[in-house]
Amino acid sequence: MVNPVLLIAVPLGLAFAIPLLALLSKAAARYVPPVASGFNLIISLLLLPEVLHNPAIVSIGGWQPPFCISLVAGPVGVLFAAIIALAGLLVSVYALDYIREGATGKYHMLYLFLLTGATGVVLTGDIFNLFVFFEILCISSYALVAYQGDRSGIESGVKYLIQGAVGSSLLLIGIGLLYGQFGTLNMADLAEKIASVGSMSLFVPMVLLITGLGVEAAIFPLNAWLPDAHSSAPSSVSAILSGVAIEVGLYAVARVVFTVFGASSIFLFLAFLGVLTLLVGEMCAFSQDNIKRMLAYSSIGQIGLILFALAIATTHGVTGGLFQLVSHTLSKALLFLAAGYMIYRAGSMEISALEGMGRKMPLTCFAFTIGAFSLVGLPPFIGFPSKFLVVRAALATQETIFIVLISVALLGTVIEGAYFFRVVQVLYFCGGRHEKSSNTIKKEESDPPAGDAPVTALVPMFVFVALIVIVGVYPRLVTDVLGSAASELLNRLDYIRSVFT
Amino acid sequence: MRSGIAIALLAIVALGIGLALAKVPFGGPKTEVGRHYVDEGVEETGAANIVTSVVVSYRGFDTLGEVTVLFIAATGLGAVLSTGRKNAASEKEPASLVLHTGCRLLFPPILIFGAYIFVHGHLSPGGGFQGGAIIASGFLLIYLGCRERRISRTASGLAESLGGLVFVAIGLLGLAFGSHFLSNFLPRGTVNTLFSGGIIPIIYVAVGFKVGSELAGIIDNLIEEG
Amino acid sequence: MSLLNNYAYYAGAFGLIFIGLYVILTKRNLIKVIVGLGILDTGVNLFLICLGYTSKGTAPIFSRAGLDAELMVDPVPQALVLTAIVIGVAVLALALSLAIRLYQHYGTLDLRKIREQRW
Repeated sequence: MVNPVLLIAVPLGLAFAIPLLALLSKAAARYVPPVASGFNLIISLLLLPEVLHNPAIVSIGGWQPPFCISLVAGPVGVLFAAIIALAGLLVSVYALDYIREGATGKYHMLYLFLLTGATGVVLTGDIFNLFVFFEILCISSYALVAYQGDRSGIESGVKYLIQGAVGSSLLLIGIGLLYGQFGTLNMADLAEKIASVGSMSLFVPMVLLITGLGVEAAIFPLNAWLPDAHSSAPSSVSAILSGVAIEVGLYAVARVVFTVFGASSIFLFLAFLGVLTLLVGEMCAFSQDNIKRMLAYSSIGQIGLILFALAIATTHGVTGGLFQLVSHTLSKALLFLAAGYMIYRAGSMEISALEGMGRKMPLTCFAFTIGAFSLVGLPPFIGFPSKFLVVRAALATQETIFIVLISVALLGTVIEGAYFFRVVQVLYFCGGRHEKSSNTIKKEESDPPAGDAPVTALVPMFVFVALIVIVGVYPRLVTDVLGSAASELLNRLDYIRSVFT
Repeated sequence: MRSGIAIALLAIVALGIGLALAKVPFGGPKTEVGRHYVDEGVEETGAANIVTSVVVSYRGFDTLGEVTVLFIAATGLGAVLSTGRKNAASEKEPASLVLHTGCRLLFPPILIFGAYIFVHGHLSPGGGFQGGAIIASGFLLIYLGCRERRISRTASGLAESLGGLVFVAIGLLGLAFGSHFLSNFLPRGTVNTLFSGGIIPIIYVAVGFKVGSELAGIIDNLIEEG
Repeated sequence: MSLLNNYAYYAGAFGLIFIGLYVILTKRNLIKVIVGLGILDTGVNLFLICLGYTSKGTAPIFSRAGLDAELMVDPVPQALVLTAIVIGVAVLALALSLAIRLYQHYGTLDLRKIREQRW
């Protein structure tokens, strides 16, 4: 069996080696992230069948837990690692041509570090190690948002950084309180000791941890940074932030709530928070003119839906939540990638400037439309079985409160459909008039290249489209993996036992 | 108004933290994990400084992450500042002879002191990060006192990358020879001598070089900006 | 008296944390907010170190043979603080570089004027 440490160590080593490679050949730096993500994808797909029922516990340094840091490569961890690697690979292929100006070597280093941080967060079994890899993820995303150095990027970067740094300090205080009371940092050991004390006496550390992790997970009201950051960043960065970074943040929240604390009494509160996030996100998205800001608010809405599904806390609910998460990663990344070239061609981020783009860039707009339909939840795309699973899980609980909440969530879906259909209508059914608006972005050449997006952008987009359609038509391909992942998240005792044997 | 809301919010948080702190005794006996490290640490890792053996050996993965974070910050800072306008070289007064000579005289002892700190990290208080910070302060002294000297960007970039690569490579060698990532596959040696502790001094030397060149690079970027 | 002695350290650490949070929440100048972030980081690190203290303990270094292991403090919080200090420095460095660029773009560091990203 392959050692799961390679999933973290090899991309890290390759990222450290990029400056050395850049000395040999200037253009070599942009091929390193696809190679590293491809390697990660292969390793995680090889690991996945083996860890489906027995998580692989790897201790770093050869010591016994809890005296060492252990990696817990269970179905959740390896599934997330595979998704991070897949999205990372496709977006890095897109970035081969998209990132052309500025210090490109540094972009690729930061990008690879973001993916490494995300993989580390999902695989670790130690709470301080979670903090360290979480910081790797956050700091590389601050730097990537501000990467282009333009006015909106730097402003968004500063606001994101300050909110994120305050969140991390709160997270560290929470970890300190836990260590002071229980004397261990290993998540399974903490879970065992917390089980004997009862989780409600640990209200303050739990709130601190959820708040600290929730800033990155974009839970309302901690998500003020997200619309600015995701809309001002370059489109490949927006794709990976919306597709990977906030999902990994939500995974961290779920891991802390389910496994470490086992706090069944706050699930209802989290469900309310999820629906509130959903409503705020969808309603703000509806009123947007800027397409990337609209997509960013839509990300907030989807995170709210995933949080609600996870807070249902039955096997069906968590499976639905994880399925919705996978579907969001694929669809939202596709939407941002397509929007990137549409904006470049139109010269502006306003939706009205994209009129008639369906004729000028047929393939890109087709991909965008597929992504939009999938996010809204139309069959035969992946959004449909995932949303259906969530609704069915909410109805199966037989409690009125969840039925009320899911109806509110469906209202949010209707609003989502409204604004996405409006964009699709602008793309295809309006005339070819092209209005100049005040929100133009600076371009290097005088005219953008005619025709569709280049091949390096179309290939990843259509791989996303293919995955969306295939998994949408045959959801059985992924549901048993998701089911094992859900049961790993929910069964604390199995987790504790597997780490200590 | 805004400060009133802030104070109210902080008062609520303070109340919560006060309640939580009641369960965390101050000055109580060591935790089980701490006791294990202090009792068994010298035999298991060979280093006399238990904090070093915790940082590098027992929790070495955190140190790898920390080194990565510093690298990311230095890279991000370089990327953000490289897109800006460079201010025209302002004519500042050259430093006086006493300042100039004093800085040049102090620079080598500071470097040696920093190197001493990170080479002896496993024997006395100190380590890679502390020694690297001292080395960077020596470079800062040179930048402030003798303005015409600069370190070459390629040399510091090379030192950073090599330091990180050496750390990851030692981890992978531990995987190959010891069947665990970052396992201590070199002989432990006798306690309290320079060549004890297995891989610990090697990792700390790599970290010392890396942190020193990284912080010096950050200072260089910031000083050149303004 | 011993209660005061015990909790004086926690009070000091959390005092710094609350000062830092107050500065971040209320000040308008970006450099002051960044300084507040630094104070917050320092407070958190002090709090973490306080966790490891055992009464009458000394540094956990066996510099000569025969030192009593019972009188040594817990090494784990010290290792955590090492990592946390470096991460705090990294975030501050990045924040300062962003502040420099922000000043070049906007000509001011007043956070109320740097609000181009509207609703």
